[in-house]
Amino acid sequence: MKKNLTRIVLTVFLIILSLYFLYPTYADYQLNKELKGKTGQDSIDFVDKNGEKLKNVRDKRIKLGLDLKGGMYVVLDVDIVKLLEDLSKKKDAALTDVLNATKEATKNNDDLIFETFKKKLQDKGLSLKSYYGEIRDDEKDVDKKLRDEIDGALDRAVEIVRNRIDQYGVAEPQIQKIGGSRIIVELPGVSNQEEVRKLLQGTALLQFKLVKDPQSAFKVMEAINNILVGNKDTTNVKDSLKISTLNKIDSTKNKTSITSADSTKSKNETAGKNKKDSTKVADKKVTDKKKDSKDSTKTKKDTTKTKKDSALTKVDTNTTPIDSTKELSDEERKAKFPFFTLVNLNQQSGTADGYVREADKDKVDRILAREDVKSIIPSDMTFAWGNKTIDSPEGKIYTLYAIKKDAELTGKVITNARANIDPTNNTPVVNMEMNSEGAADWSRITGSNIGKRIAIVLDNAVFSAPVVRGKISGGNSQIEGMGNIQEAKLLEIVLKAGALPAPVKIIEERSIGPSLGEDSIKAGIFSSLAALILVALFMVIYYRVGGTVADLALLINVLFILGIMASLKATLTVPGIAGLILTLGMAVDTNVLIFERIREELLTGKPLKTALEVGYKKAFSAIFDSHVTSIITGLILYQFGTGPIQGFALTLLFGLIANLFTAIVITHFIFDIMIEKGKDPSFG
Amino acid sequence: MRLFQHTNIDFLGKRKKFYVLSIAIIVIGLAILFTKGIPLGIDFQGGTEIQLKFANDINVGDLRHTMDDSGFPGMEIKTMGSDKDILLRTPMQEEGTSVSDKIQTSVKAKFAGNNFTVQRIDKVGPKIGAELRKNAMYAVVLSLIGIFVYLAFRFQFVYAFGAIIALIHDVLITLAVVAIIDFLIPSIRLEFNQQMLAAFLTLVGFSVNDTVIIFDRIRENIKIHKNEDIEAIMNHSVNATLSRTIITSGTVFLTILVLFLFGGEVNRAFSFVFGVGIITGTYSSVFVASAIVVDYKHRIMDKLASKPKLAR
Repeated sequence: MKKNLTRIVLTVFLIILSLYFLYPTYADYQLNKELKGKTGQDSIDFVDKNGEKLKNVRDKRIKLGLDLKGGMYVVLDVDIVKLLEDLSKKKDAALTDVLNATKEATKNNDDLIFETFKKKLQDKGLSLKSYYGEIRDDEKDVDKKLRDEIDGALDRAVEIVRNRIDQYGVAEPQIQKIGGSRIIVELPGVSNQEEVRKLLQGTALLQFKLVKDPQSAFKVMEAINNILVGNKDTTNVKDSLKISTLNKIDSTKNKTSITSADSTKSKNETAGKNKKDSTKVADKKVTDKKKDSKDSTKTKKDTTKTKKDSALTKVDTNTTPIDSTKELSDEERKAKFPFFTLVNLNQQSGTADGYVREADKDKVDRILAREDVKSIIPSDMTFAWGNKTIDSPEGKIYTLYAIKKDAELTGKVITNARANIDPTNNTPVVNMEMNSEGAADWSRITGSNIGKRIAIVLDNAVFSAPVVRGKISGGNSQIEGMGNIQEAKLLEIVLKAGALPAPVKIIEERSIGPSLGEDSIKAGIFSSLAALILVALFMVIYYRVGGTVADLALLINVLFILGIMASLKATLTVPGIAGLILTLGMAVDTNVLIFERIREELLTGKPLKTALEVGYKKAFSAIFDSHVTSIITGLILYQFGTGPIQGFALTLLFGLIANLFTAIVITHFIFDIMIEKGKDPSFG
Repeated sequence: MRLFQHTNIDFLGKRKKFYVLSIAIIVIGLAILFTKGIPLGIDFQGGTEIQLKFANDINVGDLRHTMDDSGFPGMEIKTMGSDKDILLRTPMQEEGTSVSDKIQTSVKAKFAGNNFTVQRIDKVGPKIGAELRKNAMYAVVLSLIGIFVYLAFRFQFVYAFGAIIALIHDVLITLAVVAIIDFLIPSIRLEFNQQMLAAFLTLVGFSVNDTVIIFDRIRENIKIHKNEDIEAIMNHSVNATLSRTIITSGTVFLTILVLFLFGGEVNRAFSFVFGVGIITGTYSSVFVASAIVVDYKHRIMDKLASKPKLAR
């Protein structure tokens, strides 16, 4: 009994655990059913009210594959031939020939493009050096440099694609790097192929745009707020608001200590900047002989780090820029300052950057898209989201920037960018170089905007908005203030995207309409149930009580499979459902083997209890061996299959593992208990 | 309820006849396969495939004419279940301007009154196709090796050998049956795609189960009846495990049948192949795997018997 007690406790625990993991899936289904019943404004309100909950359960539910949910699956290949063409310093007929031949030779196979290219070049008696290096460069170095460029292009392509998809607003996109040159993109619920193709394949646009000065940005936000409140006495509200807000800004100045601490720090840094600059310049001279970096000045990034902290405090205390916050209840504040409840400002930062909770981002987008709102935003200004989010106890926080619509400069002038660690203070920095044409513009732009911020914008997302500390002539700039080296690396990739496009082409594209997915779900549920009932009936008829117990184990098995899938956030696909159905048939096999053995032992005249023990014991080796062989093929299938097929392999694998427990352990102790209670189970 | 109780069939005595049967099926099937070939799905050959659902029934002949006129001569057009569900396929998948868009535009222009929704679009580049073909081969070979190593470790080499021959036999027979069925009843729409590959791999993992059950019993019986003839032990073991071999395959076959009938178009090729595989897998456990072991052991016995003679 004691042995059984542990087993019972374990079984009950696992069942509860599975149910716990499956609850979000159920809740998600219920919420969405409710949501489906609503239309128009009702549904928006419902999402607004239950946003948090919806998001929570969605994160934890069993994911449905694209074939069930509808959506697009795209495989992108970095166009290495194109990249080699872009990278070459001289473009002559010989190179074009080699490139075309490479393209042709690698069209239908998996040969490495770069190797093929190199070989074809050598066959013609040409060297990499003559196209990609300087005269005194070593061929090997050029080779390595090119390989690095190819690797870098993939990273860049991934970042560009990720950035665009983030802005496109797809729920739960999947972006994966595969092998040396491939990106797999999964976009659930997306059906506009033309748009997605453009989104993924277009050339990235990197721009430098001035951030609007806080005063005028704030005025626009106020006006938006007034529109939201209602237009009736705009002027009055506006005036009172203006006064009170400004008052508040002054009075709260020393409240958030982190900001002020950081701002003193940055002041100190600025103070000592000149000295550092000279050392930097010296360093540069060594590393980069060609460029005259005498005037290299640095831009001091208005540290995201600083903002990050202040945003936290801001959101925590739920302050808005509005004076009367303290006296107003939440309700009143929401009524009076709807926009600033969503878009939190931080006066200490001295900027008009808005901090928006993830759950509110859609609402802000909707407000900004309103015609009446659009009409009051000045024609030279636009709002853009920051690419990064800040983690806070309230979830992710997005940053909303008010920037100038027209770009000061495009990223095409950038010749190089590199993330480094500044040896003087061990902080990450990014060095950026421009060509002479760009450097001239850059010098003018920075010179006339000292103390202002310039946003680095890639495809409409702000990646960084450093403050210009001084005029930068010579084209070499340094951006500092990144939180860590990863941030710096990302900025390097983004800046390089301006310098060197990462051409990609779609080599596989699958799109599944939503109705097909629904049909598949229906067919899946129906055939699962039909198979379950047929198999269960057979077991009861053939093995009587034993069969009934096996059926119970079968149900628990299904519960476990789904529970494991939910806990591992695995994806259910159409073949995955097939795997589940197949598992139903295979799961009872374990019990068939055991029961047949028990019958055999009973025939030799053993008492039931002994026959049961011997049956379980002797059947085990065959069960174990057959499970292992199936697991071997399951693993290989998972390794070699793509998307949907992997889903099949997963359900099959989970089923096999769960089955070892349900069919052997659970049924065994149930029989034990029956015998103990004097109810001898029959095996037909 | 009991089926197949106390059978005493001389399975192994008839093994030569079944060798001939198996080889005949494989030869016919592969002959068809190599002359006519099973159509490759676009997963493996590359191309564009688009599935449309029309509001009203559509005449496939008209549609074919439209496609011929729109720059897609000889396009493959099939109905799927009803005359409203149409599948169009072309090996074309040019870059830039999309083939699927062109198809949709021409269909829209010609059949203005009959609206359609796009159910599915697959576009696979030739490179991906080649890669998937290669991976498919690797996957099947690797799983055979994996199983071989495991069985050699758990049983003796002879058994692992027998089981692997049986598995290769299953894969070939299933392939042959698919080719034959596709030749006889083309409307069943079998084609070699990823799902079918999954079926073959699952088949490899599953059909070895029956073999393992029989071998497990042989392993047990050899220990008990040390002096008995190997063929007798095997026959005895096959008979003793016959009912479970058939029932275990039967329950899985039952679920596969349900999947074949109600699982939708996507799972049809999979369930068909796997269903054929279950039958051949069960058959081969008895007539191939065990039979090969018997023949192999006989040969060793003969050699052992003849060796002393040579030495003398």
